[in-house]
Amino acid sequence: MLAPPFKRILIANRGEIAVRVIRACDVLGIETVAAFSEADRDSLPARMATRAVCIGPAAARESYLRPEILVTAAKGTGCAAIHPGYGFLSERAEFSRMCAKAGVVFIGPSPESIESLGDKIAAIGLATEAGVPRVPGSGRLQSPADAEAFVRRHGLPCLIKASAGGGGRGMRVVRRAADLARALDEATAEAQAAFGDPSLYIEKFIERARHVEVQILGDTHGNVIHLGERECSTQRRHQKLIEEAPSPFIDASLREELTTAAVLLARRARYHGAGTVEFVLDDDTRRWYFLEMNARIQVEHPVTEMITGRDIVREQIYIASGAPLAFKQGDVALKGHAIECRINAEDPTRNFAPGPGVLEQWQPPAGAGIRVDTHCHPGYLVPPFYDSLLAKVIVHAESRSRAITAMSAALAEFDVRGVPTTIPFHRQVLAHEDFCAGRVTTRWVEETFLPTMQLQAAPTAARVTG
Amino acid sequence: MEPKLTYADVESILKIIDGAEHLDEIDLVYGGFHLHVVRSGAGNTRTIGARSTAASASSAAAKPAQTAATAPPAQTREIAVPEGAIAIRAPMLGTFYRAPAPGEKPFVEEGQRVLADDTVGLIEVMKLFNSIRAGVNGIVVRIVAENGGLVEYNQLLVVIAQDREA
Repeated sequence: MLAPPFKRILIANRGEIAVRVIRACDVLGIETVAAFSEADRDSLPARMATRAVCIGPAAARESYLRPEILVTAAKGTGCAAIHPGYGFLSERAEFSRMCAKAGVVFIGPSPESIESLGDKIAAIGLATEAGVPRVPGSGRLQSPADAEAFVRRHGLPCLIKASAGGGGRGMRVVRRAADLARALDEATAEAQAAFGDPSLYIEKFIERARHVEVQILGDTHGNVIHLGERECSTQRRHQKLIEEAPSPFIDASLREELTTAAVLLARRARYHGAGTVEFVLDDDTRRWYFLEMNARIQVEHPVTEMITGRDIVREQIYIASGAPLAFKQGDVALKGHAIECRINAEDPTRNFAPGPGVLEQWQPPAGAGIRVDTHCHPGYLVPPFYDSLLAKVIVHAESRSRAITAMSAALAEFDVRGVPTTIPFHRQVLAHEDFCAGRVTTRWVEETFLPTMQLQAAPTAARVTG
Repeated sequence: MEPKLTYADVESILKIIDGAEHLDEIDLVYGGFHLHVVRSGAGNTRTIGARSTAASASSAAAKPAQTAATAPPAQTREIAVPEGAIAIRAPMLGTFYRAPAPGEKPFVEEGQRVLADDTVGLIEVMKLFNSIRAGVNGIVVRIVAENGGLVEYNQLLVVIAQDREA
């Protein structure tokens, strides 16, 4: 066996992604230190890691969002590198820089790459330079008059976005000219509150859009390859719920165009690490546009791993150690079809309200072609402080229709009691003719599916029979 | 809106003071935030008092010449705190120091009498030193945390037998 790329790594995250990274390290013979908050003291990653250290109280801003504490924890436990997972500090250039200064390797892109991609306006400039098409949009808006001029030129509907944004915050769709001024005011306030930066820009809004993204890997020697695309159109309020690979919408020639553009962009950003280039596809015209690039491991990375047989977290670790990519573009083959369903502790019958609590029953599915990434176990207390993701169920089959059947069967087997989950929602989506025909666009869940969804209220407690 | 002083800001201020030759004291008022730094002695010990209108906090900082980056992590097991004794716990993760600088006398020893305002140790987080106060008048029963070792958030540092109210 090869010498491990690092002796010991600190995991600066929690939940399923912390478990995922610890597993990758275990296989590579790397020791792990789990950094956990008080609320996660008894969590699975804290127990799985070689060692675990408490970094602060439950509130993320006092624990998982404290770069100086995490770097101190890494130094104090002799870790050579930090894996940031997704969310929290994963895309903070300041954290990447602080790691470098302390002599700890940040497993992710350089601070310069994070900065040039994290700011959406800068990222759009990069795309323009590279000749990659983007949705017609403005630069940073200086005044409401800029927005009015844009609307006169490109028409309605349009979409107002926060420059520093993400997760749907600071976003507004405007369909009538009379609504523009108020939408700008609201988006400014929301952007300031959520990101501390009120800057906005405006884009043409595509009514029937698909969200397709390309997974890329770049090393520190200038090699960049892609691992194909993922279709993430099944969303609610810009939050992805189901992802699949390959996309049922695109053919070989469109795949070639998207992946070529993604690799070109990553090269221009001198990107190293795992990253995702997001595109929006117009379902009516089949035209595509660059949306943004995410400089981190994505929640939905397993669907790509299933169809390529590549371990993306393992590649992240090797890239961070300075190793060149061990395989070339020609070695990447896409095989079969993979689907992922995000199982959240949310009640679909109550507008997806989060429902923390104790898992009185937890029996995830298993079997050939089924993968479950989770940190949950029977008796686990789902804390109210963090996101509601309980598990990702991923299936792999030779075709899309077989993958849908396999996922339906897997979810029917999944027995969770004690908290509400999105399992009933997923089962109905998988049975819907639009989903089976691959006709889902990004607003399908909200506009077509949810109004007709028929769910029974989820049981919130196990019934004792005897 | 209350202006916020970030961790990086405070670090920069300390660096400026550290690099200044003839600066012994600085008084900074920023919105509701008041930072008072005094340099005393040979320049390797300083006292910092930081106060904000919302919450009042004060800390003393010293600069041990060496950090314990590679020190083996202290795996301190939870020790039972005797009845009537007070547990002083780490308010943050960091490196624990018993003395203001290497080679100097520790702040406290076991058996020593302390007053509430006495410093019993320091916790360093990336060159920023936070003083840990006794918090009560009493006798130091036990010093649990190891000098130069990593302490976790809420880890037991020192046990103090509190004086009975007269």
